Amino acid sequence: MSRKGVGLAAFDRSRLTSAQYASHGSTLRSANAQALENQLAVFRSLLHQFARTHARDIRSNPTFRAQFARMCAAIGVDPLASSNSNTNGGGSGGGGSIWAQLLGRSVNDFYFELAVRVVEVCSETRGENGGLIELRKVRERIMRGRIEGASEITEDDILRAVGTLKPLGSAYSVITVGSKPYIRSVPKELNTDQSAVLEAAQVLGYVSVSMLMVNLKWTRARAQTALEDLMGEGMLWVDKQSDEWEYWSPGFMLENQDVVTETG
Amino acid sequence: MTTSPPNDPSSSSSSSSSPFSFPPEYSFPPFFTRQTNLTTHHAQLTKWSSLVLAYCRHYRIFKLSLSGNPTTTTNADAPVGGGGGEGGAEPDTTELFHNRRINRRLSLADIREVIDFLRRDGRAEYVSGAAPSGGGAEGGGGDLVWIYWRTPEEWASLVESWVDATGQRGSVLTVYELVEGEGTRGSEFHGLNQELLLKALNVLVKRGKAQIFGQEDSLGVKFF
Repeated sequence: MSRKGVGLAAFDRSRLTSAQYASHGSTLRSANAQALENQLAVFRSLLHQFARTHARDIRSNPTFRAQFARMCAAIGVDPLASSNSNTNGGGSGGGGSIWAQLLGRSVNDFYFELAVRVVEVCSETRGENGGLIELRKVRERIMRGRIEGASEITEDDILRAVGTLKPLGSAYSVITVGSKPYIRSVPKELNTDQSAVLEAAQVLGYVSVSMLMVNLKWTRARAQTALEDLMGEGMLWVDKQSDEWEYWSPGFMLENQDVVTETG
Repeated sequence: MTTSPPNDPSSSSSSSSSPFSFPPEYSFPPFFTRQTNLTTHHAQLTKWSSLVLAYCRHYRIFKLSLSGNPTTTTNADAPVGGGGGEGGAEPDTTELFHNRRINRRLSLADIREVIDFLRRDGRAEYVSGAAPSGGGAEGGGGDLVWIYWRTPEEWASLVESWVDATGQRGSVLTVYELVEGEGTRGSEFHGLNQELLLKALNVLVKRGKAQIFGQEDSLGVKFF
């Protein structure tokens, strides 16, 4: 090979070698593809099997479920994707999410059922909180409504459940105020001032005009406007029986209960 | 609403001993201020109504004085209820609208709004006419209010099913027997305010299921 050929025959030879290289390459490639396809098939069937054998664990054990969801996320599969699955499903029988097929719907249904509960909690409490409720409260309320011995659910589950509501429109979404995640069930954007007020109200449960003026260096008018706006949205309750009017976050209503039940 | 009557004797005796556990909103200061936002206000009224009903149910209060006047014991105007029973240990109902721990109280005007909200649901009614101890109680806006954690209709069907269950259809009972008698011990309406019982019985009369006769003090009732 090292010796360079001379004369016209050299051209032929080089054409030959490159053709051989090409054919060899394509065999390699197809072998590779074959192997990958095999691996994928094996993987899919294993995943199927895994999900089937552990369906109960996935439904009942929150840690297991979270790990499972994380594993799926790591390999780039969305367990809840309800797309028509032709892109990554590779034609494994059209329609329905690949996951629904793999898991016999049970995991999907778990999140759908949870989503229904989330919607219920949000609409039950919308009157008192203006459609903005802390994720933790939603979980508490759902857990309280569950019968003894029902499986534990985590905030992570609720986040996923809210995700399943996406096809229904933008009404339900998760936003972060301060450092805490909230579920918003009205299609309403908070402006920065309003978020700042709600964040401040997380500390003591309430804020007042002067508190905002001192801590955020706002003018009286600005503080007043932000508070009035939030009151108008039903996201704050006013207490006029204190020295200065205090504007309370309705989330504190449930929080107090924890204190009562713990002490009492 | 009409849940498991059999456990009543225990619940009524224990209820007067165990204090009412207030819901979380009771320790939420703005709960005592009328909210300006309409939706919030509605949520507030709903919470207040269920609190009032739950509170009265717990202490078996039939008539509530809005000013928290202690003269409104359940049996104040029921001569038959001489024993007084649970009526004697009447709780201090001012706590209902006044949370001393956080020093917040609901104003009388706001209380009336709650009562009106209950009235629209048929769950409250101003005590009309002469309330012997209530002073100048007027028809529309007096101090005394019936709180119907059971409406007269609901009481009526309780009485009726008790009559059925004990096979006393066609027999004559005195009102005293119904309220204080040994026979009704253990039934929900034992110790019921007599005036309220009469309201309930009148419901049955209208349905043609009962007939009331006799004098003020010795009212009798016959069930059909």
